[in-house]
Amino acid sequence: MATAVFETRTAAAARAEGVVKAYGSGETRVVALDRVTADIRQGGFTAIMGPSGSGKSTLMHCLAGLDTVTSGRIWVGDTEITGLKDKKLTRLRRDSIGFIFQAFNLLPTLNALENITLPMDIAGRKPDKEWLDRVVSTVGLGERLKHRPSQLSGGQQQRVAVARALAARPAIIFGDEPTGNLDSRAGAEVLGFLRRSVDELGQTIVMVTHDPVAAAHADRVLYLADGRIVDDMANPTADLVLDRMRGFDARGRVS
Amino acid sequence: MTVLKTSMRSFFAHKGRMLLSGVAIVLSVAFVCGTLVFTDTLNTTFDKFFGSTAADVTVGPEEEENAQETGRAASLPASLVDEVGAVEGVASADGVVFDAGVTVVDGAGDRVGSSNGAPTIATGWGPDIQRAMELASGRAPEAADEALIDADTAGRADIAVGDELEIIAVEGTHRVTVTGLAEFRSTNPGAPHVLLEAEAARTALLGSPDLITSVHVMAEDGVPDAEVRDRVAAALGGSYDIETAAENEAAMKDDVGGFLDVLRYAMLGFAGIAVLVGIFLIVNTFSMLVAQRTREIGLMRAVGASRRQVNRSVLTEALLLGTVGSLVGIGAGIGLAVALMELMNSVGITMSTSDLTIAASTPVAGLVVGVLATVVAAWLPARRAGKVAPMAALRDAGTPGDGAAGRVRTALGLLLTLGGGAALVAAAEADEAGDGSLFLSLGLLLTLVGAVVVGPLLASGVVRVLSVAVLRVFGPVGRMAGRNARRNPRRTGATAGALMIGLALVGSLSVVSASLVASASDQLDRSVGADFIIDTTSEQLITPEAAEAVRATPGLEHVTDYAAVSVELATPDGESSAEEVIAASPTYARDLRARTVAGELSAAYEEDHLSVGESFAEEHGLAVGDELTARFVGGDEGVRLTLAAITSENTMIDKGAMYVSHATARAHLPEEAMPLNLVMFARAEEGRKAAAYDALKASLEPFPQYEVSDQADYKQALEDEVGTLLNVVYALLALAIIVAVLGVVNTLALSVIERTREIGLMRAIGLSRRQMRRMVRLESVVIALFGAVLGLGLGLGWGVAAQRVLSLEGFAVLDVPWATLGVVFAGSAVVGLVAAIVPAFRAGRMSVLRAIATE
Repeated sequence: MATAVFETRTAAAARAEGVVKAYGSGETRVVALDRVTADIRQGGFTAIMGPSGSGKSTLMHCLAGLDTVTSGRIWVGDTEITGLKDKKLTRLRRDSIGFIFQAFNLLPTLNALENITLPMDIAGRKPDKEWLDRVVSTVGLGERLKHRPSQLSGGQQQRVAVARALAARPAIIFGDEPTGNLDSRAGAEVLGFLRRSVDELGQTIVMVTHDPVAAAHADRVLYLADGRIVDDMANPTADLVLDRMRGFDARGRVS
Repeated sequence: MTVLKTSMRSFFAHKGRMLLSGVAIVLSVAFVCGTLVFTDTLNTTFDKFFGSTAADVTVGPEEEENAQETGRAASLPASLVDEVGAVEGVASADGVVFDAGVTVVDGAGDRVGSSNGAPTIATGWGPDIQRAMELASGRAPEAADEALIDADTAGRADIAVGDELEIIAVEGTHRVTVTGLAEFRSTNPGAPHVLLEAEAARTALLGSPDLITSVHVMAEDGVPDAEVRDRVAAALGGSYDIETAAENEAAMKDDVGGFLDVLRYAMLGFAGIAVLVGIFLIVNTFSMLVAQRTREIGLMRAVGASRRQVNRSVLTEALLLGTVGSLVGIGAGIGLAVALMELMNSVGITMSTSDLTIAASTPVAGLVVGVLATVVAAWLPARRAGKVAPMAALRDAGTPGDGAAGRVRTALGLLLTLGGGAALVAAAEADEAGDGSLFLSLGLLLTLVGAVVVGPLLASGVVRVLSVAVLRVFGPVGRMAGRNARRNPRRTGATAGALMIGLALVGSLSVVSASLVASASDQLDRSVGADFIIDTTSEQLITPEAAEAVRATPGLEHVTDYAAVSVELATPDGESSAEEVIAASPTYARDLRARTVAGELSAAYEEDHLSVGESFAEEHGLAVGDELTARFVGGDEGVRLTLAAITSENTMIDKGAMYVSHATARAHLPEEAMPLNLVMFARAEEGRKAAAYDALKASLEPFPQYEVSDQADYKQALEDEVGTLLNVVYALLALAIIVAVLGVVNTLALSVIERTREIGLMRAIGLSRRQMRRMVRLESVVIALFGAVLGLGLGLGWGVAAQRVLSLEGFAVLDVPWATLGVVFAGSAVVGLVAAIVPAFRAGRMSVLRAIATE
């Protein structure tokens, strides 16, 4: 039994247990996350969905160690991050977590390659040349590595962000609406890369999105509403996701 | 109206940002107003003091122009007192003895008195001085060996009733016991006073009980001063100087006023530098504000605000800032003046806060300086704001980096810098000091303006080099810091430019002063043959008694007298001028090996011969053998002197001096008109230098106002003196540097705010707080070092050019004080670190989530 517990822990890239995130106190208290428990499986591509204000971004921020929780516990890999001090959290983010934000992912003063290797540079590690080449060719940036972000299109910038997240071989990558600012073609391209990195490179990815098409690239979709996980769908398709969302919307209207 | 309202709103919305610019204005205005209040108060103090001492009418000996410096006050017969007293309308007449050139020595053999350069005054304790002073403790002097001393000096020098003092005057040394302390009725600016019994004063200071220096007259009630003056003049007839209190006061004010004006303008000059640096800071602040508000301004333009309205709204903000800053600055300036007065009190110049004088013009000047500087500085950014297109409202502006430097700027900057450089080279190559200094000032101005214009163009390149040199060891954090410093060249350039001005002055002054010391010391080595120099450290020239003590010192091969004689010289070309001729012993030709361009210097020391400097000879077309006619002031007239030598003026010591022998001067001047020695020189007997040095020091032990030094000590003293002066100048320049540091703080603080999202991103992907802080600090260091490179480079150029010009005046040696420059360079890195403290702390503390969320 003990072994089994141990195994589930190692099998999870990240795990939330009874996580509560509340703002304010007394009458103005707002609960963003209400006793959320979730496992993020290793080597999986998980999408977190939900209407605005459902707590999906808050959940991601808490899982990634960017935000603190009111109560409950969170692990990234084997490390419990709830209660960690800023210094250790920073190191954890640097060494074990990759990020892709919706916009403003890159430092304007660094070129594409420098942006990609930035987390390793900060850590003082040499990038693994072979891996780096592979990541760069996977996202198809070979020609533009010396370009500054201002010389790249929105889609290319997000691809650089993906490459940066992948390059350090983090245990887990968090994406916060990574395709939210892109047109559908560029968005599909980026999602394709994320998919391939899961399939070919064995990367674990968690992505917050409100776009059913984007969610369809994932292996699994977690639905949040009012700070709770209300559904957990495996192998989603765009239609299934859309259906499910309509269902929630309708229920929301009835209640 | 609405424009004003938006200006007000935006002003208060950016309080924090305005604060630093405001501080720059406050500092500059405070310095200006502080200087004005301080010097005005100093004036008041002197005025009150003069007013309190002046009698209604003063009768003195007729003043002769260019009188010989005999160290003895000009005197009158004491019998004059009764004559004056008998004049109608005179209530009282007092014979006064007043000597403003004595030295007072305490029981331990130390000089009593100020180190501030004020003369030490000895006078009789009569009714006249008692109008200005009163007895504070003890009793009045009754015997010849008793005296009072003023309480301020007694407090400073720790003198109590019963202590013994020596009063060294030209007539000799007079020993007294202190019987009491006297206090001034108003504030005494700091001249120590000793007060002798009236008759003792005459004997001790003038050598005879029948002499006085002036008669002080009080008029009867209702008789105007001017009328008493005229009656006294009529009664005495001819050759006296008779002045009313008002005339007397005006004359004294003129004397002191000149010195106070110099002080005032020097201090205002430094305030001006600070204002200039402050302008940079304000330009930068408003540029950044305008850049940040591009969208907002675009929106205002889109909804119909005209260019002029936008322009005016920025200027209105500047006006608000300037007004608030100036008002605070005026208050701070008064505080600064009070602080300066405290400082003066601690060095012995007594100033009372009850005399604090704030002229109506002071706040006006502060307001004008502050507001004008701010509005002028905001002019360019305001114009730029006016040019913002309405389209800017629609663009995703983010942080607009400034575009490539304009071609105009490049061309203008290069033109100015090259022109200035050429002027500096021309100055260095000039053959005439006059041309040289003209080119030099042109070069200084052009290169300064050029460097300011070119600064942003250089920012990228120089920062890149600095990054490689300094930041590489800090890895990626250093690299990013360097890139950040380079991304806004105009901003970095302006920020560093402010620092540049102060450091350019520091750099050039250090080169000039080091060269001065090196040149002087080189020349001392080459041309001074004397072993010892006896010099005065007070106002008192070398008294006959002290000169005798030097001559009587054993182990000296020779002793040289060196006095300045006032002579009116008529040249063969029919012109005549008042000149100061050095009367020296013939041995002086060996003490200072002055080079001649014609004749032999030793011949000038023959009876009724002289030497003149190159330029005087040239001006009057003189050649060796020509005869000049001299009138020795206070002595013989129509003396025919033969020109024996013409000296070279490529020297720092005795430049252009004329020499006659001491014996010639003595022959043509009565003994009492013979000026005292300014300095004396001596040479030890062969191989007995050390013993002679000790013996000389022992001989001068009773005369602490004189100092004997050998060549090494003299060089050291010279170096110390220059060093002290330089430190004062550096301290005043510190103001400009502080303002520049505020500029760095301001730039960094704004950059941190602008880069909120970047900071959030970097923190999210794993940059620690410490690394973040270090990044901001390194950026600051690089900006400061960039300013140092520009400033010291400019300063070096200025200093070298100035030395080349001065080399025509005898400053032959160029000495670049690399160690000092190195320290200044390293110091600027520290300045950068200090400037970054707060911005770095803020960047480190920025919440990651909020930073990411910022739109």
